[in-house]
Amino acid sequence: MIGFILADLRRLWLGGAVVILLVALATALGVAVTLQERSLRLGSARAADKFDLVIGAAGSETQLILSSIFLQPAPLPLVDGAVLSKLAADPRVAWAAPVGFGDSFAGYPIVGTTTSLVSSTTSGFTEGKMFALEGEALLGAAVNLPLGAEIKPMHGTAETGGNTHASPAYKVVGKLQPTGTPWDRAILVPIQAVWHVHGLGEEHGHHDEGEHHEGEAGQAEPVAQISASQGRKYALALGAASSRHVEEEHHGSVDPDAPIVETFGAGTPGLPAILVKPKTIADAYRLRQEYRTGSTLGVFPGEVLTGLYATLGDAKMVLSAVAAGSQGLVAAALVLVTVIHVGQRRRQIGALRAFGAPRGSVFLIVWLELFVLVALGVGIGFLLGLGAAHIGSQVFTAKSGVILPVGFTREDLRLALILLGFAAVLAAVPALLAYRQSPATALRA
Amino acid sequence: MLPLKIESLAVSFPGLATPVLAIDNLAIAAGSRIALTGGSGSGKSTLINIIAGLERIRTGRVVWGEQNLADLSEGRRDRWRAANIGLVMQDFHLFPGLSALDNILLPARLSRVASADVIKRAHMLLDTVGLKRPEQHVETMSRGEMQRVAIARAILRRPGVIIADEPTASLDLESGAAVGDLLLSVASYAGSTLIIATHDQRLVERLDRRLLLKGGRITGDTDHKEIAA
Repeated sequence: MIGFILADLRRLWLGGAVVILLVALATALGVAVTLQERSLRLGSARAADKFDLVIGAAGSETQLILSSIFLQPAPLPLVDGAVLSKLAADPRVAWAAPVGFGDSFAGYPIVGTTTSLVSSTTSGFTEGKMFALEGEALLGAAVNLPLGAEIKPMHGTAETGGNTHASPAYKVVGKLQPTGTPWDRAILVPIQAVWHVHGLGEEHGHHDEGEHHEGEAGQAEPVAQISASQGRKYALALGAASSRHVEEEHHGSVDPDAPIVETFGAGTPGLPAILVKPKTIADAYRLRQEYRTGSTLGVFPGEVLTGLYATLGDAKMVLSAVAAGSQGLVAAALVLVTVIHVGQRRRQIGALRAFGAPRGSVFLIVWLELFVLVALGVGIGFLLGLGAAHIGSQVFTAKSGVILPVGFTREDLRLALILLGFAAVLAAVPALLAYRQSPATALRA
Repeated sequence: MLPLKIESLAVSFPGLATPVLAIDNLAIAAGSRIALTGGSGSGKSTLINIIAGLERIRTGRVVWGEQNLADLSEGRRDRWRAANIGLVMQDFHLFPGLSALDNILLPARLSRVASADVIKRAHMLLDTVGLKRPEQHVETMSRGEMQRVAIARAILRRPGVIIADEPTASLDLESGAAVGDLLLSVASYAGSTLIIATHDQRLVERLDRRLLLKGGRITGDTDHKEIAA
């Protein structure tokens, strides 16, 4: 029987190939949507995994997470530096690290932070060492620069018309192991250096900055409300939109040989975000609650991502409906084509029975022929969908640094079984027609 | 080798006032060689279908040996036909893409009876019908060769009856004569009852008995001596 089916499929290879292609494309569409959406959820969740609590100034929760964890360049309101001092001294906090951004180099965002954040969120260095001086920088795993390279920070990005700071360049002293997060694409420098580049904070970490922070305690107004005298504070979290304005007021400088100081006193400048590692889950909830009042905003990345996933889920539903629609159309077309095909092969099918083939064999031949084609299409469709999702993920990773894990799960196996079950029922339609066909009538046709 | 007895057979189609085939009584001896003749629409093909068990019998009895085909369900009729009837059709009904040997074995394989002995017999039959290349695909054969493959397929399971419907009609004279010879010799060798519906007068003359059909009724029944005369 298999030989007969193979001979038949060889003879009708072109039609068979078209059936396989149609089924494969319709399947691939649905599989790619499912895999891509799932990988986006997993990848983003993993990217946020190491950051338990983010505290910023009152404003958009989503933007706070997108900017601080996914390093999306966008203006953020600043939270008062005193908040960082308070958090650093809080016994419920394992570590609290400031992040300052807004600058870039060669398309890579420059993020100012502390050694405690680097140590706690990465798994070590592939080469080099931790920054110890104000003029030193670390590279994320995906930054294509060598050790010892010089980095001249640019405010904003080249694409958005940013301009290069006049201050001395950073020197790359270490490269981190991959984390699978957008931070792999970041250049990490001491937060102290970022402040000094923008003319903020204590001189070399020791001198009172005085005028830069007078009257700032407890303030965290949205960017649009920051007065001109507070313009430098704005620079830390700024996109390129206001770079010219900021540059006018830049007068800070970096002393590349100054040791970094990571004790944050009362004079700490404003910050776009503070990443906090609470000691316990209970502490995390308490801290989030405490810092959700007034001028600060405490956010669990997970809760923001959950909201984003709901939106993603809606998009997936629409795309899945489109995919299901296309699969339905293909199925209907296949039923039509095979019923016509069986009609055209009435003589052959009738002859099989006339010469002694049992009805069951005739049913099985017609059923197997179509089922094999559809099953092949489903299998190829799954591979095509996987390939498409991989390509999509690689493009996304190249742009964002977020590694999207693409792979099949048991859910996909269930989908494959459902599709094959559907194929089995679909193939039974023409097979039943062949089964019911009278051999005498078929031979006369 | 099976005898045939037909009693009170009537085959009607919806919308037609009179039956397309009506035979009150017909007996064919086991091992005899019968020609079925008659014009187009005379009922030859309907009778072939009925006695081959291809059509359901609603009125009358068609008894091969002890088996009344009217008593069999469609599935059992298929099985009985596979074991007892060797069919040879005008259009061969061979399956392209398969070799001569695979075509001969296909019905047996689909019925799961293609044992080593059956396969050996298929090879032997290819030799019997004068074909030297068992692996040759049938679409590359001449029409005469195709009909030889069809005859080998028909007699693979040693049927008691060989029924041929216009076996020489689509062949040239020479091939037609060779196929006629072959049918007669294999039927004679196996002792099978042979029934051939044909317009081929030369073939008719070589058979023992001629049944003439007209309007669905047997209007002539002559034996070999009368045919020869």
